[in-house]
Amino acid sequence: MSEEIVLRASDLKKHYMLPGSLYARPATVKALDGVSFELSRKKTLAVVGESGCGKSTLARLVTMIEEPTAGSLQIAGEELADADKTVRRNLRPKVQMVFQNPYGSLNPRQKIGSALEEPLMMNTPLSSAERADRARSMMQAVGLRPEHYDRYPHMFSGGQRQRIAIARALMLDPDILVLDEPVSALDVSIQAQVLNLLGELQDKLQLAYLFISHDLSVVKHIADEVMVMYLGKPVEHAARDILFDGPRHPYTKALLSATPVPDPGRQKERVLLKGELPSPIDPPAGCAFHPRCPMVFDRCAAETPHLQPADAAQVACHLMDAEKQPA
Amino acid sequence: MALLEIENLTVEFATAGGAFRAVDQLSISLDASDVLAIVGESGSGKSVAMLAMMGLLPWTATVTADRLNLDGRDLLSLTARQRRQVVGKDIAMIFQEPMSSLNPCFTVGFQLGEALRVHLGMSRAECKARSIELLDLVGIPAPEKRLSAFPHQLSGGMSQRVMIAMAISCNPKLLVADEPTTALDVTIQAQILDLLLNLQRETDMALVLITHDMGVVAETAQRVSVQYAGQKVEEQPVVDLFSEPHHPYTAALLAALPERATSNTLPSIPGVVPGQFDRPDGCLFSPRCTHATEQCRTQSPSRASAGLGLAFCHYPLIKGVPQNHPGKAATA
Repeated sequence: MSEEIVLRASDLKKHYMLPGSLYARPATVKALDGVSFELSRKKTLAVVGESGCGKSTLARLVTMIEEPTAGSLQIAGEELADADKTVRRNLRPKVQMVFQNPYGSLNPRQKIGSALEEPLMMNTPLSSAERADRARSMMQAVGLRPEHYDRYPHMFSGGQRQRIAIARALMLDPDILVLDEPVSALDVSIQAQVLNLLGELQDKLQLAYLFISHDLSVVKHIADEVMVMYLGKPVEHAARDILFDGPRHPYTKALLSATPVPDPGRQKERVLLKGELPSPIDPPAGCAFHPRCPMVFDRCAAETPHLQPADAAQVACHLMDAEKQPA
Repeated sequence: MALLEIENLTVEFATAGGAFRAVDQLSISLDASDVLAIVGESGSGKSVAMLAMMGLLPWTATVTADRLNLDGRDLLSLTARQRRQVVGKDIAMIFQEPMSSLNPCFTVGFQLGEALRVHLGMSRAECKARSIELLDLVGIPAPEKRLSAFPHQLSGGMSQRVMIAMAISCNPKLLVADEPTTALDVTIQAQILDLLLNLQRETDMALVLITHDMGVVAETAQRVSVQYAGQKVEEQPVVDLFSEPHHPYTAALLAALPERATSNTLPSIPGVVPGQFDRPDGCLFSPRCTHATEQCRTQSPSRASAGLGLAFCHYPLIKGVPQNHPGKAATA
């Protein structure tokens, strides 16, 4: 089977309880509110959205750092909600994560070699010689030189550190790599190196990527599928070309038009959004996007739209209904 | 006469490992109502050059320049007291991290009013009226209420608007925006850039935009100066820079953008920006340059003509072809 599905999430939710205090009543933050997607081998799903839209919460659920409040998450065919301790222990190595800031995600007192071997020490019965062997071959695979084995993180540049972080994530032979803004802390020339490396590794190791980013130009380059999120809910989910050629949701349109394009000759229409992201503690009624939406109409404030097929895409917007039945 | 004239500005930091040259012979000339973008990777001395101009560097820095004039006035020879009258009034700066550049202990109204009081000698009532006007100008809703807000009560976009209001409060002749939108989301970034450009047009001030985002450059700047390891390697009007870069670094930088990619593999620039201890002889870009020859590695290049984008290169590119280049064999 070419399209092997390694991760399936359906209606995934994560609500955080905020305790009340003298000044505030208890509240629920719906950080993630009903997200469904599938991830297949050798495919990249990009999750796009502004800060506070639930991208990172999604990453924490998928990597089993946190438990979902509701919904089901299947990794390699195993339902997580039913899994016991040993099953979970075996599943954890399958999903690994690369963090945003390579300056913060490596222990400054740990040599690169030992940072790479640590996951093996915890999860495999390999001897120290075998571990060192694996670490060295992984370093080669991500383009680090053998002499880097005995060095500390401060001796590396940002791009090299991100290579180390990627190598560390790959040590346990995962199926899924969760990449949380892996290149946003890097300069353009280094960003290209890391993106190329990610592409190569995906081909070679048959990895599935969950690529979290707010940089649409990077997403356009690397993703197969794109999910746009707003305040914990997906608003549009489509194959890359379909989304970039014809965005349907007003938020996707605004996001695309707000992204600066490095082509000074291009004249484009800006959909300028007014206002800012509302607080997830107290989201607007109906469609969460309606206070900022340029196309807002009566129904938006009253009724929450759900993701539904619109041509080749999945869109959560009442406009899609309006288009279907022109009244 | 140009508003800002910088000639051969050099900044050296005294470090434990010896002197480190962060800015090397940089020249910039700027007219009133110009929009200049300074582009470069981290560590290319973009911010340091501007901070040096404003006299905001610590004592470890040695700033020298053949000329450093604002509106005909020599900034280098000013005493500290005189400089304080210029900085914040004639030159204002917007910093990268809006959240950390506002003082958390004081209200927005106090911080806005401070500049007005000190530079313009306004009374309390005048300060308040002008502050409200400024907040309104930068698009903050309910400005009267915001005056008594503390920075932690504002979002990132709002804080940046306050910073902008503060910067333009004394109608500066020159506004330096140091990565004003890097910490913000794209939709907010679009709002802030629009705001900056509108203000620039209305008040006729000159704007220097420091950034590493080529997209932002393309959409806002009129002229672009590309910096690498403290040197200006190229300067061109924005349209020409994107259509025909003359320095190999600019060309490589543009080629590495995912938007311009033609295949799955992005053309990347090997290696990293040289630091304090691995500064090469000759051209600073030579270790990473695909066209580098023996001459590049040993001799510092000279500046090409304005028609060639003032490229700081032995073999400036024309339509992607290096001029007077001895051929592929010499690059080995």
